[in-house]
Amino acid sequence: MLKGKDFTEGVKDGFPIFLGYFTTALAFGLLTRTSGFRFVEGVLTSMITFAGSGQFLMMNLYNAGSLLLSIVVSVFFINSRYIFMASSLSQRLENPRSVPGRLMCGFGTVDEVFTVASFKGHKLSYSYMAGLILTSYVGWVSGTAIGYAGGTFLPEVVQKAAVITVYAMFASLLGSETRRGVKALLVASVSALINSLLILVAGLSTGLSFLISMIIATITGALIYTDEEAGIE
Amino acid sequence: MNKIVLIVSCAAVTLLPRIIPYFASSALSKLPRFLRKCMMLLPVAALGALIFPLALTDFSSQWYAGLVGVAAAFICSLLKGPMILSIIIALISTTLMLLV
Repeated sequence: MLKGKDFTEGVKDGFPIFLGYFTTALAFGLLTRTSGFRFVEGVLTSMITFAGSGQFLMMNLYNAGSLLLSIVVSVFFINSRYIFMASSLSQRLENPRSVPGRLMCGFGTVDEVFTVASFKGHKLSYSYMAGLILTSYVGWVSGTAIGYAGGTFLPEVVQKAAVITVYAMFASLLGSETRRGVKALLVASVSALINSLLILVAGLSTGLSFLISMIIATITGALIYTDEEAGIE
Repeated sequence: MNKIVLIVSCAAVTLLPRIIPYFASSALSKLPRFLRKCMMLLPVAALGALIFPLALTDFSSQWYAGLVGVAAAFICSLLKGPMILSIIIALISTTLMLLV
């Protein structure tokens, strides 16, 4: 059963994600239109995929005239990080047995939902997750539809600046974690540094680079955190 | 290329990696201690790579606008500011940097 209080809390926590997704999705919607997708096709993409970077990658490769198979493989690679994120988040659920609950969480495990939920600091109820995921999803799908229909109606500088929303959210989560212990900043710096080097210097694709940085930083973290600090019993 | 086939296959390779682990969660909870510890530390490890370098490269030649926004949000939250305040401050400072 849906618990109103938890659901409302999820909606509240999802509001910053809504803002970031809505503005990003405006650009995605416009991109689908300029790529020759019909309105339903553009909106359907966001409705059934619900993934920022993966969808942009799909459109870019489609426009470059790539083969279907190579697009699908690339999208899988950029999304492979979700295997780890979903595994991690699955350990934080209050009732890990519910099938519809697990399907919903799986559908909604995007980067932003994953980080916001992970830092809640207590077991997650499905009502909370439903509020968080639904709010983000509405922002993503409505943004795509409006972006397709109206283009990006925001002034150019606002549209450009809005890109910062999700990064500001991540930075804010990192700030709170750093207040709880400076080791968090150290672990995050490891992944930030490796990811920047791999992308900017070595020229690796974002998906692969992210995966490598995340794994190395996670192991570094596991070596420097005590079991208690990491929150395992 | 059939667009519906494209859309549905891309959705499948996005959703399966997200959904399957939830159905392996009891096996995951029996993993060795070190790996379970890794799973708990994944969020903080992901944060760094989620921010850098994309927060800068998304602004291409005006990368400093991204840097200022991220720094403002981080400092605001270090000083116990709520997330929404971090976001508003980041939006304002990034907009200003884009205008100068």
